[in-house]
Amino acid sequence: MNCSCRLLWSVLALLVLLTPAVRGEEAPNKKRLTFEHDIRPILKVHCTHCHGEAGEKEGGLDLRLRWLMVQGGDSGPAIEPGDPEASYLIERIEAGEMPPGDAPRMPKEQVALLRRWIAQGAPTAGPEPKEVGPGPIITEAERQFWAFRPPRRPKPPRVKAAHRVRTPIDAFVLARLEQAGLTFAPDADRRTLIRRLYFDLLGLPPRPEEVKRFVEDPSPQAYRRLVDRLLASPQYGERWARHWLDVAGYADSEGYTNEDPVRPWAWKYRDYVIRSLNQDKPLDQFIVEQLAGDELVQPPYKDLSAREAELLVATGFLRMAPDGTARAPDPPLARNAVISETIKIVSSALLGLTVGCAECHDHKYDPIPQEDYYRLRAIFEPAYDPKHWRTPPQRLISLYTQADREKAQQIEQQAKQLDRKRLQRQKELIQQTLERELAKLPEELREPLRTAYNTPAAKRTKEQKELLKKYPKVGRLTPGSLYLYDRKAADELKKLAEQAKKIRDTKPKEEFVRALTEVPGQVPQTVVFYRGDYRQPRQAVRPGPLRVLLPGDAPNPVPVDDPKLPTTGRRLAYARWLTSGRHPLVARVLVNRVWMHYFGRGIVATPEDFGHLGARPSHPELLDFLADELVRSGWSLKRLHRLIVTSTVYRQQSRISPQAQRIDPDNRLLSHMPLRRLDAEALRDGVLAVSGKLNLEMFGEPVPVMADRVGQFVLGIENLNAGRPGPRIPLHGREYRRSVYVQARRSRPLAVLKAFDYPAMEPNCPRRASSTVSTQALMLMNNEFLINHAHFFAQRVEREAGAEPQDQVKRAWLLAYGREPDAQETAWAVEFLRRQAEVLRGRKAQVRTSDSKVHTITDPKQMALASLCQVLLGSNEFLYVD
Amino acid sequence: MHSNTTRAAGVPGRRAGHPGCCTRRHFLASGVWNLASLGLVWLLQEEGLLPAAPSRPELKTKSYDLRPKPPEFRPRARAMISLWMQGGPSHLDLFDPKPALAKYKEYPGEVKYDDPAHASRRLLPSPWKFRRCGESGMELSELLPHLGRVADEITLIRSMVTGVNNHGQSIRALQTGAVVPGRPTLGSWLTYGLGSMSQSLPAFVALIDPGQLPVLGVENWSNGWLPSLYQGTVIQPREPRIPNLHPPAHLKGKPQQQALELLGRLNQRHMEQHPGHLDLPARVASYELAARMQLAAHEALDISKESKATLKLYGIDDPATRDFGTRCLIARRLIERGVRFVQVYTQNQFWDHHRGIRKSLPAACRKVDRPSAALVLDLKARGLLDTTVVHWGGEMGRLPVIQYDEGPDRVGRDHNTYGFSMWLAGGGFRGGCVYGATDEFGHKAVENKVTHHDYHATLLHLFGLDHQHLSFERNTRKETLTDGKPCRVVKEILA
Repeated sequence: MNCSCRLLWSVLALLVLLTPAVRGEEAPNKKRLTFEHDIRPILKVHCTHCHGEAGEKEGGLDLRLRWLMVQGGDSGPAIEPGDPEASYLIERIEAGEMPPGDAPRMPKEQVALLRRWIAQGAPTAGPEPKEVGPGPIITEAERQFWAFRPPRRPKPPRVKAAHRVRTPIDAFVLARLEQAGLTFAPDADRRTLIRRLYFDLLGLPPRPEEVKRFVEDPSPQAYRRLVDRLLASPQYGERWARHWLDVAGYADSEGYTNEDPVRPWAWKYRDYVIRSLNQDKPLDQFIVEQLAGDELVQPPYKDLSAREAELLVATGFLRMAPDGTARAPDPPLARNAVISETIKIVSSALLGLTVGCAECHDHKYDPIPQEDYYRLRAIFEPAYDPKHWRTPPQRLISLYTQADREKAQQIEQQAKQLDRKRLQRQKELIQQTLERELAKLPEELREPLRTAYNTPAAKRTKEQKELLKKYPKVGRLTPGSLYLYDRKAADELKKLAEQAKKIRDTKPKEEFVRALTEVPGQVPQTVVFYRGDYRQPRQAVRPGPLRVLLPGDAPNPVPVDDPKLPTTGRRLAYARWLTSGRHPLVARVLVNRVWMHYFGRGIVATPEDFGHLGARPSHPELLDFLADELVRSGWSLKRLHRLIVTSTVYRQQSRISPQAQRIDPDNRLLSHMPLRRLDAEALRDGVLAVSGKLNLEMFGEPVPVMADRVGQFVLGIENLNAGRPGPRIPLHGREYRRSVYVQARRSRPLAVLKAFDYPAMEPNCPRRASSTVSTQALMLMNNEFLINHAHFFAQRVEREAGAEPQDQVKRAWLLAYGREPDAQETAWAVEFLRRQAEVLRGRKAQVRTSDSKVHTITDPKQMALASLCQVLLGSNEFLYVD
Repeated sequence: MHSNTTRAAGVPGRRAGHPGCCTRRHFLASGVWNLASLGLVWLLQEEGLLPAAPSRPELKTKSYDLRPKPPEFRPRARAMISLWMQGGPSHLDLFDPKPALAKYKEYPGEVKYDDPAHASRRLLPSPWKFRRCGESGMELSELLPHLGRVADEITLIRSMVTGVNNHGQSIRALQTGAVVPGRPTLGSWLTYGLGSMSQSLPAFVALIDPGQLPVLGVENWSNGWLPSLYQGTVIQPREPRIPNLHPPAHLKGKPQQQALELLGRLNQRHMEQHPGHLDLPARVASYELAARMQLAAHEALDISKESKATLKLYGIDDPATRDFGTRCLIARRLIERGVRFVQVYTQNQFWDHHRGIRKSLPAACRKVDRPSAALVLDLKARGLLDTTVVHWGGEMGRLPVIQYDEGPDRVGRDHNTYGFSMWLAGGGFRGGCVYGATDEFGHKAVENKVTHHDYHATLLHLFGLDHQHLSFERNTRKETLTDGKPCRVVKEILA
């Protein structure tokens, strides 16, 4: 049982303990008890598992509803309303016969509660359903929980400060503020806004020229045009892909085992996400492709068109969970882990629910029976199929076309010809050398040695072996050692080998897709695992969504096996239901996450859990409005962005008014824009951009990560020499690529990202932390990455501003902060440059450049300027978005 | 006699920029912490040598720092080392002998299982013997021979209760005072309330194990909603224990100092333009600390100058105890240098012996027993034990009944948070004291129960703080470590 499950158990136990009757207080004795609120939770813990749920009705008795209890089982009615003494249920419990065996007893207080309820006539809170299927019953009351009701589009409320309302969002936020006696902070100025927008939409700082153009743009449309321009930028997709990759648990390694092997083709999925967001692919389509792209492609997956390949790559979403099945010591356990982790990812990403608990038992807090978990699992199981498991290498799909394959074969044949030629020539050369060596030996030895040498090693007699050992010059002659005897001959062979390789290199490169597919016709039966243990299979279930999220009267949208498709069609149908616009959670969960990235906290502060244990929305109507708006806009994410960033709430200053400080110190109501620290990627990318080094090359294989000499993870190609790092291999500028392209190996988080709360994917990260610790300060003060880039930044400043300190300071400020320094700052900085150059005289700075050479800088002025640049990069004005 | 108005108002006394601060800082920076200065701040203040913290205008932006703050009343303890035994060491096999386990076959009452799927009612008598130790005759298991040697220094509580039977929640109860996530940990509260006696080392240090992080990971040293400056700083189990500690050669000394001065000015200006954003001062403080740490941390973490006898005492010469011993020794060195709170962690679920307890419990004890006892002995020898609380314990104990009844080698014990043991030493705790008792079978505490709230109230008391007064105002609510729950200072276990 995992931790969060236990948490739920205990919370429930606590709640049961905390009900007034249990605490033994007198007054509530008169309180009218109801089945739904007081009795059902007790029975759920102790009884219904065998009496009604999980397909079992011991003794024919079903305790899931009051009328079923009255109806009773094999031994007659379980309760006599009004008469606890005559109630068989009470009798058996008090006799210690129920629950049976080792099961925990029902506490006395709870039995007393049961008695009182029966004595009161066993009332219910409302009418009970007349017909029930097997399994736990989801009541109407449970369906009424806010998150399980479909969103309804609310009308924007009226507000006093109507002139501040730019979008309906503002009306919702402002109404709450006004209720609390607060209002919006004034609009932020353009310099602040452009920096905020750049970091939020692109994850990069604006260039000074862009700031200038925006600030000086007289058009009232300037802001809107800026927003449009940024949304059209290719870097937008990279920024927002990173947010989705967190949720998907993107990783370039398999995890699960300590070796954490590299996951070679995962990056195609990363590129797919970036491309999709840049195209503003409607989110419903985006979700369908990721959950069921393969079901839209005709198997077998060969000779794929670009679109077909894209659809298969999209299913990489379902292949992001740690997968140790290629090497795990306990394969069935490891396979099961892949499926449960995938369900965790899918549910936290799209449903905003923690369904994982229901793997072992009914969710104790949200109405998710264990059987529902397995219904959900059944949707995915045909593709995973633990009984016919395919390991990660076995699941790779080649992107080779038939033409590629034929061409490769042709080329291989040419190369083989050369191979044969080389082997023939090798034989000759070896024999020639052998003869030369034999000639140096006494006559009588030549024949026996020749025979011994030419006898295959396995067939040599003992004498022959010894003879060869005795004359190592003959015995050790091999193709590998030939160069020691005859350099020219060896070179000739080498040349031939190179020729063959050159020919082979002309083969079309074979690339692969990391996809999730089904094997047509192979449909496993999904069963419930008793207590989540795969070794204890129980009743079979059919695929379907969580029932609490399906309106009471709606049919199950998921087929067992869609006859129109070669695959089962389960995931496709499920994805279409999720994106139908009628699902209560998907749109809410998506817009909530977008909101979180702008305001530091979601409208629901627990984006991964909209259930009972999660937070309640701070602005429920706004959440519903946005969810509805997303669906209405055709699921366009860019339109949602535009709506949010053009709102007053987003365009406010970060200034905190004294009233806000007093009334709403946590800024739940958004009376000002929160000040947000750059996240790990924005920080690193920002440093790269300001230093002028940023390499905007998009897509492709990740930039590798290795351990440096002190064990910190840095960018680089691993070059170990007897386990210790050898010389660095140049990355030729790839080290300046954006962080989204840095290899995400679970066991090797890049140090500079890790220090700033870059998450470990276990299995995904629905919400990041933002910490402030001195290890970050040390990183900014002393880390090689920062020192190097401060020098690059300084070189850029010198290039663009010349040698005059005043000009340099101005340029540095513009590049780092997007504004000019004021007189005081200029004076400080100029003075700093002077004093710093003084103390740096005679010292040497070492800077590693992209060719991986170390350059020594001795000019004190240059070092002083680099020092100034480093100060700016480490300052709060750079690290925070205002 | 001493009433501190600021603390009563919910915020510990702050001394930003008042004249007394430079002298004290100078004094504190002068080297290894001097014992005579225990309670110095308190004494100075009591004698009127330091002005009481001025009351501040209500809406002025709050600012926080790690400078030492006077406790409310005369403290017994000034620092704490907590050896955090994550997973739940079996009190029944280590601290709380129960002959009844061998006398009967089954547990007669209701067992609070965590995992009913593999539960049984069959009792598991401890496979290990208990012996009386020290003059006090405290009964301890043969698995803890080294602890036996310091029995007269420790208070053994045999009646701990958190009552939440899973790791995460019970850890939160003991580390943060409540079962819900998001609250500050004990170390954060202590450093928030008292600041640090060292201005060159982190006030709150987390010494993690080379294996996986304990359950709840970084939550174990989280500042919760306290300003992030009170977050614990992780020191890695291997070199480089603190990455990026040193600047490159050309920036060493004056150049870096000048750079940090400029940075400080720019940040100060920025902060003035953005009042009320608490992350900004925290980051400024994190820089200040980092700069001082560069000087002090290397020396503090270097155990090479410790005597051979000391290294042996901690078991650093033995591969089985080397890692834990080194971390205990580092903890002592940090405390010596003024760090307020150090927690040393075992790895993930180190004591969670659901199965195979016969093999795994002795192995676990072997790793920690010698170093833990060494820490007490060493602190005592250096005269530090009187003012340093040593805590040894985890979030739970184990059940008297068998879990996984699958043969002697596979049996184990399930969670038990209804009655378990932990020990404390130094800092005002009574030596050779056994307090509280569990029922005949060791399942539930029945005598002198100590809840996590009692434990916290008692600790704060020893540090000169009243658990109801040390508070933080948040959303117009006064938050405390003990969360307004009924609890008491357990005076019976104090010297």
